[in-house]
Amino acid sequence: MSDYFKCYPFVAVAGQEQAKRAILIALVNHKAGGLLISGVTGTAKSVLVRGAAELSGDRKLLNLPLNVTEDMLFGSIDLEYAVTQGERRFEPGLLGRADGNIIYIDEVNLLRPELLTAVLDINMAGENRVERDGISFVHKTEYTVIGTMDPHEGVLPNHLLDRFGLFVETENLKEKEQRKEIMQRLLDFAKDATAFRAKYKKETEQLRAQIAKARELLSEVEIGDAMMELAVQYCSQAFCAGHRADLYLLETAKAIAALAGRTYILPKDMEEAALYVLPHRMRKPPEPQPEEQPPQEEPEDMEELSDQEDDDMDSDDSQENLMPPPPPDNDTDNHDEDKPNQEEDNQEPPEQDPQNNSNQEDKVDGIDMHFPFPKMVLDMGKDQIKRKGSGKRSLTKTDLKQGRYVRAELPKEKVNDLAFDATIRAAAPYQRHRPKNDCAINIQQADLRQRVREKRIGTTFLFLVDASGSMGAQERMKAVKGAIFAMLQEAYQKRDKVGMIAFRRKAAEELLPITRSVDLAQKRLAELPTGGKTPLAEGLAQAFITLDMQIRKEPDTEPVLVLVTDGRANSVVQEGEDPVESAMKLAKQIHKAKITSIVIDTETDFIKLGVARQVAAEMGANYYKLKQLSQGDILHIIRNLGI
Amino acid sequence: MKRRGVYPFTAIVGQEDMKLSLILNVINPALGGVLIKGEKGTAKSTAVRALAELLPAMETVKGCRFHCDPLQENFLCDDCTAKFHSGELKETETLKMRVVELPVSATEDRVVGTLDVEYAIKHGEKKFEPGLLAQANRNILYVDEINLLDDHVVDVLLDAAAMGVNTVEREGVSYSHPARFVLVGTMNPEEGDIRPQLLDRFALSVTVTGEHDRGNRKEVIKRRLAYEADPEGFIASYQKEQEELADKIAAAGELLPEVTVPDVMLDKVADLAIDLGVDGHRSDITMIKTAMTMAAFRGSREVNTEDLKIAARLALPHRMRRRPFEDGTLDMEKVLATLEG
Repeated sequence: MSDYFKCYPFVAVAGQEQAKRAILIALVNHKAGGLLISGVTGTAKSVLVRGAAELSGDRKLLNLPLNVTEDMLFGSIDLEYAVTQGERRFEPGLLGRADGNIIYIDEVNLLRPELLTAVLDINMAGENRVERDGISFVHKTEYTVIGTMDPHEGVLPNHLLDRFGLFVETENLKEKEQRKEIMQRLLDFAKDATAFRAKYKKETEQLRAQIAKARELLSEVEIGDAMMELAVQYCSQAFCAGHRADLYLLETAKAIAALAGRTYILPKDMEEAALYVLPHRMRKPPEPQPEEQPPQEEPEDMEELSDQEDDDMDSDDSQENLMPPPPPDNDTDNHDEDKPNQEEDNQEPPEQDPQNNSNQEDKVDGIDMHFPFPKMVLDMGKDQIKRKGSGKRSLTKTDLKQGRYVRAELPKEKVNDLAFDATIRAAAPYQRHRPKNDCAINIQQADLRQRVREKRIGTTFLFLVDASGSMGAQERMKAVKGAIFAMLQEAYQKRDKVGMIAFRRKAAEELLPITRSVDLAQKRLAELPTGGKTPLAEGLAQAFITLDMQIRKEPDTEPVLVLVTDGRANSVVQEGEDPVESAMKLAKQIHKAKITSIVIDTETDFIKLGVARQVAAEMGANYYKLKQLSQGDILHIIRNLGI
Repeated sequence: MKRRGVYPFTAIVGQEDMKLSLILNVINPALGGVLIKGEKGTAKSTAVRALAELLPAMETVKGCRFHCDPLQENFLCDDCTAKFHSGELKETETLKMRVVELPVSATEDRVVGTLDVEYAIKHGEKKFEPGLLAQANRNILYVDEINLLDDHVVDVLLDAAAMGVNTVEREGVSYSHPARFVLVGTMNPEEGDIRPQLLDRFALSVTVTGEHDRGNRKEVIKRRLAYEADPEGFIASYQKEQEELADKIAAAGELLPEVTVPDVMLDKVADLAIDLGVDGHRSDITMIKTAMTMAAFRGSREVNTEDLKIAARLALPHRMRRRPFEDGTLDMEKVLATLEG
């Protein structure tokens, strides 16, 4: 398929000089640590990378798709060999095939972070250790990683950014003549690709030769003491964490020198190198503490990561688990320096429901098998639906048969989502000794493997807002509305849904059904009625019903109730009930249903009743007390929830 | 049971922009697809399904699972590439371009393709079983309610749409094949937004609303009733119109390679892009391509200002950067003035 990439010539891309230069550096010296290209859509990112394929000599450009499964990435058992020879042999995965080549990851910010970490770390370590499918194997591999991303789709956390040696942004050209030139060239290319490519052939050849020569020269480029000092100086000025930056700077400068045909580095090479090596790792000066940043060297990372593996995979058998390290999201926080400081005041520790098996909605799913399956016991029993609110923000293991299939494991219970490929691999080595019935593979119970799936899930935030006549109702409503809009704006990244219920007079009214639509919110929240008494219990009841329905509809969602009130419950639907007491009863129920909740108390009266606080205690909610409520406050509280 | 014929495309009342945007994509499959937004019951799905009847025939390599184009050596699958190099790429067959539907519930393995399990068990060998993206190559890929599509399936679509190639590295198979398709999506914005990156992949977008004109509304009902009473008779009564449109589309497709863009038209597009401050260069190129296709549809060999105006209307609105709480608004009058100027 390499022919596909011989498309639009690299040298014919107008503008984007920085990005082009960075690609050349990455092609010349893979030790410069890989390249991350960031830019909005339509700025020739992937055109450049694909065009680079024909400049790289005999190296191949391997595309790493986002839906890669772990066996294909790291390598696994050679199925055909196992079946015919009855022996386990390692078949290299993409990382093995990439040895000496280039890996291209489009939309790298959407790749599962643990896979990206592994791809970058294995390259640094220079070897890939595989422990899976009954195979134990180590092989050397070194490659160049080039990733492209659109920052609008979410950014990479710092610890992943750091692992890329080079970073460059593609620009949106604003000159009229340039824009015209781009259009004209694309039209010409569309009209007659062959003629177009011929026009740029000479230039392409020259560039290819320049790269080849630079690669030969590279090992001869010397790094003098002065340049080393300069590197250290640059890095400390930029407050880079760890020592990677220094090395990347020098390797990049080496590539720049080699591209210029020199065997020595000039200060201007270092300056240019800094343009690509430093921008994504510049940090603010560390505050009071002396720099006690643990150096992020690869051995340590590997250790740390594999330690986590056991914790995270909660699988009793490591055979089927892959080796490098899926440290799901809980590890992100350790590294993430941008994490806002949590406000400790007025905040009870967040209540999490680590494993909620209480939802007994049963589901029977058909299985998509159109072929005769010999001798396989497929017990399609009832799924145990689990909702794991394990504090992962965006990715979660899902027990539904939805989501991306990431790996297979030994089944813990009945197999309900068979990993066909892993099952066949598990069965393969025994085939020489098993009876055949016209099939090459005889599968037995012990071979069965279960799929592990991951799904990007979101959180469902339901705002329950006191719209009664007490003071500040208007402000509350406005602040919540503002927060809802802000949350919906980023909902496509985080998959969040938002709804709003207001309670006043004698009723709770659903102002905004649970949705991800900005359009709908705009229509429904145009008017915010306020006034009347405070039927807190009614509001809680309505919120509970709404969230309960949502959980039934989407068992993988994480429900969060946000109650904004001054807690002056003074109205009930049924005559004779005590407004506060009925509110408490419902609060308890919500707690029992393991719905994460937040209470934002806006009680400002001189004599405080403290009802909201009691409700919060009953609900097991995070409690915040604010005199003046703003949209910013609400967003801040929600973002600090750690979901 | 005999399958009931599809409601004819030419019998759809109104919705001119929707119909035009679909037609332009058929004439020029490289245009980049269309997103149709609108409430329920606005003939979105009807139009896409009806389009199937108007699709032209295409030359394909005989027996190829991806219906490779024998004349496009750069976009052949591995098998066809091998045949091409050994000079065996001779036998071809003519297939009709078709609409491949991707249901919202589709699993990723069905979309990208996967290990052929039956083959593996029977023969102990790995073989790639193509998925919907393979079927969609050189065809129309239709996703109803595209805004409800699972994220990981969207990622796959984005990848394939960007590269024109479907790369599979999963479940024991490593395979890639051409996947160049016309992406047609429909959605009801009230049910949630579409991911901006996916939105950007659509060359054109149109918003359909119910007909407000009383006469037209009556006509909609009348035709629907007539169709339901006697589908075959109804379809037959539109036969001539259907054939004329199909011919016009085919003719435009042939004319398209000859369409040229005067330099002054490029000026206008560049001016407009700078004026509006659009992201990237995709909108410029889409506008030009749309205008060229429009010219071909008119039967002309040269793009004129009117073509650009239509292109602006179809290609720009969804590319306006959305600021918080703003609809992607586009001052159409200003746009038209810039194009005139």
